[in-house]
Order: sequence, then C-alpha cells, then structure tokens
Amino acid sequence: MAGETATRTTGIALTLIYAALIGWLYARQPQTVAQFTGGLSAAVGAYHIDRQSFDDGLSFFRRDRFAEARAAFQRADPAVRDASTQFYIAYSFYRQGWGRLYDDDALFRDGLEAVDRAIALAPNGRLIVDDPDLRIHTADELKAELEGGTRVEASDFSPARVFRERK
Amino acid sequence: MTATREALVLPLLFLSVALCGSVRLGRTLVLLPPSLYALILGILLVRLLVQSRTLVPGALLSPARGALANINGGVVILTLWAASGQVFAVLIPDNGLPRLIVSVFFLILLLNTAAASPDRPRLLRSLAVTFGSAFLLKFVVLSALSETGTSWLKRVLLAMVEGVTLGTLTQDAMHPASGYIALFALGLFLIGVFLLPFREPPESTALETVGPPEGGRPDSMDIVRGVRL
Repeated sequence: MAGETATRTTGIALTLIYAALIGWLYARQPQTVAQFTGGLSAAVGAYHIDRQSFDDGLSFFRRDRFAEARAAFQRADPAVRDASTQFYIAYSFYRQGWGRLYDDDALFRDGLEAVDRAIALAPNGRLIVDDPDLRIHTADELKAELEGGTRVEASDFSPARVFRERK
Repeated sequence: MTATREALVLPLLFLSVALCGSVRLGRTLVLLPPSLYALILGILLVRLLVQSRTLVPGALLSPARGALANINGGVVILTLWAASGQVFAVLIPDNGLPRLIVSVFFLILLLNTAAASPDRPRLLRSLAVTFGSAFLLKFVVLSALSETGTSWLKRVLLAMVEGVTLGTLTQDAMHPASGYIALFALGLFLIGVFLLPFREPPESTALETVGPPEGGRPDSMDIVRGVRL
C-alpha cells in the first residue's frame, strides 16, 4: 500500500514537471540546445553569462568593432537570457547603423529585435545600464532611438540633420 | 490496471505524444501546441473511446477510489485529451485545400464512428487505419507533391491530380525527420490507447433448442439453453 502511494505520488510529481516543461517549451520556443539548457538554468536562477566573452565584447564595442562585439556578446549569452548583454547587442546595431545622412534600416530593425529581447528579459521590463561610455542608459530610450531611425519623417530631410551626433 | 501504468506509464506516454507531435522542423525548430479545433476533435475522440469501452472512466475516477488514485485517473484523462488533440494537429496538413478537407473529414469521421457505436477492437482498427491513411496523405503524398524537383512519385501524383491547381495542394517543405517524429508520436498514441483500462462488451447469447426432456414425449416442451454467440 505504501509502495502504491509512493508510485502514485511520484507519478503526479513527474507528470507535473513534464507538463510544465512542455508548457515552457511552447512559450519560449528555444531554437538551440544552448537556449534550451540556458532557459532551464535561468528558470532555477542558475544561469550566468560568460564574463570573459562579455568583457571581450565590451572591448570590441568601445573600439567601434561592432560585428566582432556582437559575436563576443552572443558567445557570452548563448541562451539569450541576459538583458544587459542583449542591450549591448542592440546598442551595437544602433551605433553601426547610425549615419549622419541616413540610418541603415536593416541594422536598426535587428537592433529593435535585440532591445525588445532585452526589455522582455529585464525585471518588469525596466532596464538601466550604468555605463559611463554610453549616452543612452535605458532600454526604453534605445528602443525609441531605433524606432525613430526606421521611420521616414520630415526631419529626415532637414539639412540640420548632418550636425546631429551619435549617441 | 496497475498503479504504475496509471500513474506513470500512461501520463508520461501521452505527454510525450503531446511533445513529439508539436515538433515542426523547418529552417528553425518550432513547437506548436494543438489548435483549438484539434482539441475539439480530441474531445470527440475521448468521447468515442468511452463510448466503445476502450476507456472506462469508472476505472480511473470513482468515489470508491482514494483521492490520490482519482487524481492519477484525472491526469490520465487530461493527458489523453492533450495527446488526442496533438495527434489530430500532426495529421492535419498545414495549409491550403488539404487542411480544410482533412479537418472536415476528421470531424465527419468521428461523428460517423460515434453513430456506428463500434466496440473496442473495431475502434482500435478503425483508428489505426484512419490515422495511418492521414499520415500517408500528409507525409508521403502531399510531401512528395510539395518537394522541389521531379521525382517519379511526384510525376505520378501530378498526373493523378491533373487539372487541379497545384498551389492549392502544395505545403511548406518539410524537414526529412518530420515524418519519422510524427510516426513515432502516432505509434506512442496508439500504444497508449491500447493500454487504457477497458471493459469487454457483455457477451451476446441466443436460445438453442436441444431436444425434449428425458423420458418426455416428443411434443412436450423442449429444453432450451442459452449459448454464446
């Protein structure tokens, strides 16, 4: 009788865990094994980015080598679970796509996707990055900047545009 | 039914069907939960299983069972429903005219089967044939029609559907592994349905005259006994 109770209790527990895992997979849609394992680690609060790769990315970012920076940031956060890393990826798209005469829409769109990921990952969607080298410190500002870059507005044709500065 | 089968085997098996059936391989891996329509077809299938005594709800949920056992029973029914919905979602083509036709076909088939009131063996055979046919249609016929190039199967099929606009039939290209995963999910589901607690239908009897009673006159009342049919 005790054995049967144990079997039934184990069955309920395993079924709940399995069902929760399936629900999580439906909701998160992981594309790679790294995203799957990273997502599970994050769910139990055990996910950490690769600090060395993140520092490499930051170093590339500050030298305006954005493609290399993104590669390092993506290596640092393979599961796409860290809001700050995604913020820097979005920022690298912004800086690379920014132009005095016109912005690169494709890069800005990629940046928007990255900043949306950062906002989704941040607690309550609020993300502030205290980096003195940046001129934009919040994900909301960065998103507004990227959205503004993809829109065609009257100010895009203003000659004063050439005097604006990259943030 | 043993506690192990009820508490562990069946729920985990049906959840595996729900997981494997949701896998859509393409350029990226997507896990699709069953649509609302597929879940409704799933309800009809569960009802059919109960009607044919392939599933006896009383063996899973009853006041005579303990609370823990009833929870296990409820979990079996819920996971069976989810798996049933997912099986239909796997077998219904993804878009176009085939999606509409197969969706309506499944609905009519389930209603028709319910009206026919089959017993367990007939229902299991019917499910195997129906699901097998739908699997062949989606993962062999439509897949061959939709793939690029001109294989001999595609040429034969094109000749058979001559006059039909191909755009209404073709589906998005499927990953080669999709069919194998779907077949695995389908097989698991049928095994799970086979393992459900069932009840044999009451045996039919007929009356047979075996002759006059011993010592009685030939025209006296004959002995009549019930025989199994």
